[in-house]
Amino acid sequence: MSFLVAFIWSFVLWLVLTAGTNGMLWSTEELIAGAIFAIIVGFSTRNIIGEKTQRFLNPVKWLGFIVYVIGPLFWGMAKANLDVAYRVITGKIKPGIVRVPVDLENDAQYTILSNSITLTPGTLTVDACPEEKALYVHWIYVREEEPKTSEPVAGSFEKWARRLGR
Amino acid sequence: MKSDMGLIVKTMARATIPLIGIFGAYVVSHGHLTPGGGFQGGATIAGAGILFIIAFGLDEAKKRINKNLYSALEGLGGLVFLGAAMLGLGVAFFYNTLWHNGPILNGEPGTLLSAGYLPIMNLAVGLKVYTGLMSAVFAIALFRRWRK
Repeated sequence: MSFLVAFIWSFVLWLVLTAGTNGMLWSTEELIAGAIFAIIVGFSTRNIIGEKTQRFLNPVKWLGFIVYVIGPLFWGMAKANLDVAYRVITGKIKPGIVRVPVDLENDAQYTILSNSITLTPGTLTVDACPEEKALYVHWIYVREEEPKTSEPVAGSFEKWARRLGR
Repeated sequence: MKSDMGLIVKTMARATIPLIGIFGAYVVSHGHLTPGGGFQGGATIAGAGILFIIAFGLDEAKKRINKNLYSALEGLGGLVFLGAAMLGLGVAFFYNTLWHNGPILNGEPGTLLSAGYLPIMNLAVGLKVYTGLMSAVFAIALFRRWRK
């Protein structure tokens, strides 16, 4: 099963790279070569892409990712960039590392949340500790020294990460 | 001794290692059409292998990397290169007989199956560079005697 996931994941990148060989589409030889190379790559990486990755083959989840990236994530990045520009001009900073307790179960959820926090300027994930269910976040302007949830640091990102990585 | 990375690096490595691998295969197999070729693509795939060693640690890599297999594949890459070079030995060494009158790989220029023995040689060089670089890096990573 994880072979199939690695195969599809790499074959999709091959299709993206070789699009346009036959008009706007793919010529037959590119498709066959892509299938062969994707089989090789999928077979050699089937043990390292992780367990239960077939949940990411669900089209509803892809739709969720697209909505998340062009909706909350993009909006959060735009807002945070303006905020950082304001802090660069005025110099009002109060940096510090805070411990943010989160309620997540698996690695993918931690990765999505940590990358979202790092992508929005002003916050930077330093470490993710699944055993104590917390992230350590470097914050450019610490508003709460010991937040009870991830809401003041990350907004609605934790809800989305829980949903997308499940 | 803990020799692997944290959770985020591991999860991102799980997602990106297949992508780097297929991109390296793309660079190798389109060596006669686009910039790149055997060495560049092989080094790209070796980058995926080095990412594996660094992200998951030496203990995990020791279980997955087989010295004999890599050594044999490196030799096989060199042999395939030599075999492709000897295909047109009736005329001259390195004579591109597949392109002039061969059964395959003589398609219209610009398509994937063209350019005679070049795709075969690119694949062979890519295999050789990947296995050679991986063996070298893994051997260096196993050499740990800093304090003695």
